[in-house]
Amino acid sequence: MKIRVERDGLADAVAWVARSLPSRPPVPVLGGVLLDAGGTDAGGETALTISGFDYEVSATVSVPATIADGGRALVSGRLLADITKALPAQPVEISIESSRASITCGSAKFSLPTMPVEDYPALPAMPDRAGELAGEVFGEAVAQVAVAAGKDDTLPMLTGVRVEINGEKVTMIATDRFRLAMRELTWKPDESINNAEETAVLVPARTLAEAAKSLGSAGKTVELSLASGDGLLGVSGTGRQTTTRLLDAEFPPVRQLLPSEHSAAAILSVATLSDAIKRVSLVAERGTQVRMEFAESVLKLSAGGDDEGSAEEELECSFTGEPLTIAFNPQYLIDGLGALHTDRAELSFTTPSRPALLKPVGEDGEVQAGYLYLLMPVRLPG
Amino acid sequence: MTGVSGPVTYPRCVRLVLARCKVDYVGRLTAHLPMANRLLLIKADGSVSVHSDDRAYKPLNWMSPPCWLLEDGDVWTVQNKAGERLVITIDALIDELNHDLGAEPGLVKDGVEAHLQELLAEQVNTLGAGYSLVRREYPTAIGPVDLLVKDGDGGTVAVEVKRRGELDGVEQLTRYLELLNRDPLIAPVQGVFAAQQIKPQAKTLAEDRGIRCVTLDYDAMRGIEPDEFRLF
Repeated sequence: MKIRVERDGLADAVAWVARSLPSRPPVPVLGGVLLDAGGTDAGGETALTISGFDYEVSATVSVPATIADGGRALVSGRLLADITKALPAQPVEISIESSRASITCGSAKFSLPTMPVEDYPALPAMPDRAGELAGEVFGEAVAQVAVAAGKDDTLPMLTGVRVEINGEKVTMIATDRFRLAMRELTWKPDESINNAEETAVLVPARTLAEAAKSLGSAGKTVELSLASGDGLLGVSGTGRQTTTRLLDAEFPPVRQLLPSEHSAAAILSVATLSDAIKRVSLVAERGTQVRMEFAESVLKLSAGGDDEGSAEEELECSFTGEPLTIAFNPQYLIDGLGALHTDRAELSFTTPSRPALLKPVGEDGEVQAGYLYLLMPVRLPG
Repeated sequence: MTGVSGPVTYPRCVRLVLARCKVDYVGRLTAHLPMANRLLLIKADGSVSVHSDDRAYKPLNWMSPPCWLLEDGDVWTVQNKAGERLVITIDALIDELNHDLGAEPGLVKDGVEAHLQELLAEQVNTLGAGYSLVRREYPTAIGPVDLLVKDGDGGTVAVEVKRRGELDGVEQLTRYLELLNRDPLIAPVQGVFAAQQIKPQAKTLAEDRGIRCVTLDYDAMRGIEPDEFRLF
């Protein structure tokens, strides 16, 4: 193998693939990235394909390359990522001779040992395309929902994001039993999906969030591919493809948790409220709770107690309903406010022991449909 | 310890002696402990051990039974059949205590671990839908497997239950699986490593060997509801 490739494209591509590699691979070859010269990219140009796989997640990206001599080689992903990041901005030449890979860029020269390509597992085939949507919509939606996913392995079904596809409608839901985030959006499904019955898959939240962050950029299109039979979800866009294994677990029926009505509601500025919560929760020991006393047009935030420090702050708010005192885990509340992606938020309540609902409020002062964050309060002292 | 074995030739009591002493061991090798304050522990089975004030740790020197203690004034000699001798020269006796500890019920397996095993046997569906229990403590030539269960498709699954899942637990289950898979009546046997916490290395090793890891929620299995509010 002997190729020449642009430094920036190579560094980005290798960094992206190497990111999903295990830090301590059980088999050394899984710590490698597979370099495959000889294929073509989407535009039919000759390209270098870089892939990584750890049996859970696979990542593949193509970068345009001038190929003098095709071939395949497996080299340490982390080392290659570190090297390509540090190379000067000049074309990079990679050549493989016997069992070593040599990388030349300007006056810098590296020689790396390669690992046997035949020991590397076959990457899963990209499942059938299901449809596409705008990159920024996908990126935003996943980020809004994944924040509520559980991190506790005791309940594996809660570490995933449930993605429901029903024709043109996609619903994403995640919950860790303390909060629940749900986002609805429309997308462009392919014929096969459009005519099919509703499908739902459970995708590991961490890998979905990673994929959405790296592929869900503005102005690009993201394609989703689905093979629920094989338990695989594929996400691709901008020359990058990633697959992740789906979680084989039953997601709890959570829609019944959504309150159908509320007895009080407040509209607040997200930035003002978040800042105030961050301030008063400084005295809340290990983020235990921040109390919110709603009265007409005034919200009093307080945290801490007699034993430790205490803090309080008053904010303006437009409040309707019976005055109410309720307490929340400050971090969960900040997470929810941050996930709304609007300047103002509506908080609606029933009682201090029932879940509260956060919804985005648009410029026009109306509550926007499509996203909600349900948050369980914490017990008030006494 | 299960109390005295063989003819009871010693008083059934444990004897603690605090003394300033020096100790010489004469046998396969020689060792010397200079004069200092020490705790001498003389058990009912005749064993003698010399302790310093240092951790819950093995003695400085000791002799295992069968052995005999001969007290000759300030010189105490412990001797075994091989003729090895532990010679304790007492400079000053500080204190002495004799007490009969009675029968020892034996070491009880870690309470939480045993309880986890019991709970998992009752709630075998924690491992997956359709699972059913074959038996607890399923015997193998190298010791019993915590749980043997059948999965929803009738396949045999061996479960090792731990409080903390570490590498040695995975090794243990691997050995059981190797033996169980030799039995044509139940092979192939899959492995499940179930623990309250599983160390990352243990998880990596288990998954590399095709063993599934399940994290157990002890409180939830015991039916203890947390005090905090939850959505469900």
